[in-house]
Amino acid sequence: MLKLRSSGLSCGVCANFQIPIPRCFMNSITTSSIDVKPKVPLYLRPPSFSASLSELTKWHKWAKNLASSVGSSFINLDNGPDSTLLRRELNWLLQDLIELQHRSVILSRLESGNNENPDVIVALRAPLEEMYCVWRQRIEKRRPFQYVVGCEHWRDLVLSVQEGVLIPRPETEVIIDLVEGVALNNAPDLAQGFWADLGTGSGAIAIATARALATHAHGDACGRVIATDLSPVAVAVATSNVQRYGLQDVVEVRKGSWFEPLKDVQGKLAGVLSNPPYIPSGDISGLQAEVGQHEPILALDGGISGTNDLLHLIDGVASMLKPGGFFAFEANGEKQCKFLVEYIENEKPGSFRDMNIVSDFAGIQRFVMGFRR
Amino acid sequence: MSYFIFKRSSNGSFCISQYIRTKTRAFSSLHPLDNFLDSNQNSKVFDPGCSSILHNSLKKPFGSFSLLPSSSLLGSQNQHSLRLNRKGWIWAREFGSQAAIEPCTSDGLTVDGIASSKWTILEESESDWKSHAAAIAQSIQVIKRRLQWKKLMVRLDLLSAELNKPDLWNDPVHAGKVSREHGSLMGKMKEVKTFEQELLEHIDMIKLAREEDDTELESESMKALLRMRRDSKDKELEALLAGEHDSCSCYIEVQAGAGGTESMDWAAMVMQMYKTWAQRRGYGVTVVDEMPGEIAGIKRATIKVDGEYAFGYAKAEVGVHRLVRISPFDSGKRRHTSFAAVAVIPILGDGSSRVQINESDLRIERFRAGGAGGQHVNTTESAVRIVHIPTGVTATCQNERSQHQNKASAMAVLQSRLDQLEMARQAQMNSQHTQSLTEISWGNQIRTYVLHPYRLVKDLRTNYEVSDPDSVLEGDLDSFILSYLSASLDKGEGEQ
Repeated sequence: MLKLRSSGLSCGVCANFQIPIPRCFMNSITTSSIDVKPKVPLYLRPPSFSASLSELTKWHKWAKNLASSVGSSFINLDNGPDSTLLRRELNWLLQDLIELQHRSVILSRLESGNNENPDVIVALRAPLEEMYCVWRQRIEKRRPFQYVVGCEHWRDLVLSVQEGVLIPRPETEVIIDLVEGVALNNAPDLAQGFWADLGTGSGAIAIATARALATHAHGDACGRVIATDLSPVAVAVATSNVQRYGLQDVVEVRKGSWFEPLKDVQGKLAGVLSNPPYIPSGDISGLQAEVGQHEPILALDGGISGTNDLLHLIDGVASMLKPGGFFAFEANGEKQCKFLVEYIENEKPGSFRDMNIVSDFAGIQRFVMGFRR
Repeated sequence: MSYFIFKRSSNGSFCISQYIRTKTRAFSSLHPLDNFLDSNQNSKVFDPGCSSILHNSLKKPFGSFSLLPSSSLLGSQNQHSLRLNRKGWIWAREFGSQAAIEPCTSDGLTVDGIASSKWTILEESESDWKSHAAAIAQSIQVIKRRLQWKKLMVRLDLLSAELNKPDLWNDPVHAGKVSREHGSLMGKMKEVKTFEQELLEHIDMIKLAREEDDTELESESMKALLRMRRDSKDKELEALLAGEHDSCSCYIEVQAGAGGTESMDWAAMVMQMYKTWAQRRGYGVTVVDEMPGEIAGIKRATIKVDGEYAFGYAKAEVGVHRLVRISPFDSGKRRHTSFAAVAVIPILGDGSSRVQINESDLRIERFRAGGAGGQHVNTTESAVRIVHIPTGVTATCQNERSQHQNKASAMAVLQSRLDQLEMARQAQMNSQHTQSLTEISWGNQIRTYVLHPYRLVKDLRTNYEVSDPDSVLEGDLDSFILSYLSASLDKGEGEQ
């Protein structure tokens, strides 16, 4: 975002303005240096910019029209967002843009089309020029909304995300329900052990698990979570999210592939959780533009059948877990889930108990879970 | 009949100017709703400058009252109180175990006696104790009517009997409910009783002062009466919101009637009206669920209105709202009539007994799910629908930014819907206020908004009307709400 601020896109206001992609479009995947600096999400930036109410209204109208012009064309194209959803995103963008104090007054003003006091100055967290730019990116480039605002609301968390980090999905929220409802309910002692979130991305599962462990732990012996990821961007973003929730003493982020950075806790883990890449390589090219063109392929492509990484996890998990330890992995629907359970039963006979396939809220079989014997 | 109603509503509008003066402060609303302050009425009712001075001077305590002999000493009143008095109220049961005596002054004046004495009520500025006393006594009668005094007494008796049962606490939930309700009704009753007592004491005091020729005492008592007269107006209004759940927050739901885009646009206008109304009152407003129309407006929407007495006010809006205008969506510029239904659901506090929901009775579905989901899809759409299988009641929330929060909000809506269902089933009390959207018949019109060929908003229940639809649609609803509440309560008791 810093790039943007300094670029001073004064031409952003005119409607026929061309997107200067190199200046406006940020892509941090290219930043492969070790110390990636995570971006500050819009809602956490200081409100050091401003615009008059009439300027803001003008932008809002323009953005709304742009959203409406989409109609259902994206749905038909690749099951992308429709106008209704885009307009709702626009409201959220405004929420993040305007500081809390005056937010509700201004939002209801924009909504009602009331044009009293057009000269009132509204404090903003980003220049309006940037808003023209990012909203065009959202619609024309199909840049995911979560990258536009730099955050994703996931469970009761607001997690920073940026290009190079998978945006946590609503489906994945259920993993935490499994941790609380199945694992910690049946085996409360697990709340005091070490847990691992493999391929943590933004750190979503790790942070939510740490919070679940804290609420379920008795006394002062609270469990800890180790989050691993191969991507330096993910490690940086996850670390900053962990810090924002004040969990740096509970969640440790390690860089590395799957179990590699976990040699010291082999056979000691109370739980292993993961949302590994599981999309079959052949499906990647047909993905919705927001996913296929913007999200990190590393976090999506699971090999020819989509199960490369899942099988790797299953092969390793028995030796990582302590007896009674819990695992839950996200997978790609009924076929993969059944295949994985069959694989475990045939290849790891007697290693696990209480294995189960759990569906997401759309009724799609999504998770494979069980306990180590 | 219509004459009666009309009188009521004009009476109601008098209250409103008073009401706004006192209540907006309490609700810390940002907008004092100046529109309601009809300057004409204002000057009739009170002089603002003068009143603040008086108010300050009246702040000092009236210690001397404790010296007064208790008015219940008068033996002759005992007999009187045990008979039905002329209003038909049975005084004997009032205080349960306490002395069943209708309070009166040293020379036998009772509150009802004063109210029916036809003393001329002059303006507040006139220092005439009889005028003040008569105004206060009338207010007390209004307050009692609004509190549904007779019912309240019967209910109190019932609850007292319940409380005396030795096995009451075998069911702690029920016991808690009974004792809470008893406490709350007792509080209301005592407040009125104290107010009555105070009135009579001040009258005694003035008489005493005149006998003793103590002008200072007389003027102090006169001021006290004036203060009571002003307070009584506030109490009249408070009594409008004395229902069991009136103090709760609530959900307001609006659904478009048949008629396509025009009626969906109307539904959106109605929703907007409530949003601004609630915001002006200082309530928190959150959109919980919104199903937009294809071209404009909404098919239906639910908002949560957070704050004290949100339900008490909003319940007056339940029913069908009708719009007549030239539709901007009709290229032929024809006049259209469209309808929007409004339902209001109280959000019961933790203290109330709420319906227990079994997790296993719920089916949670992703709303508008499609395709492979998971990593395949990036969408900010995370709405869920929760179905309560035994009742078929559903709730959807789609305006939160995470599925988890949508689920939590939908659960809260579901809980309130089930509570409402249970309330309606259990008591069939206030049945109109606890109707859900599906139960509101499209014939149940409560208000008409005409934008063409003339301009008028008229409440069909009270005949209250205003000729400025814009201000109403911008949320100036209080006069409609208060006139309806006072009309329905004042009428209700009379019919018993």
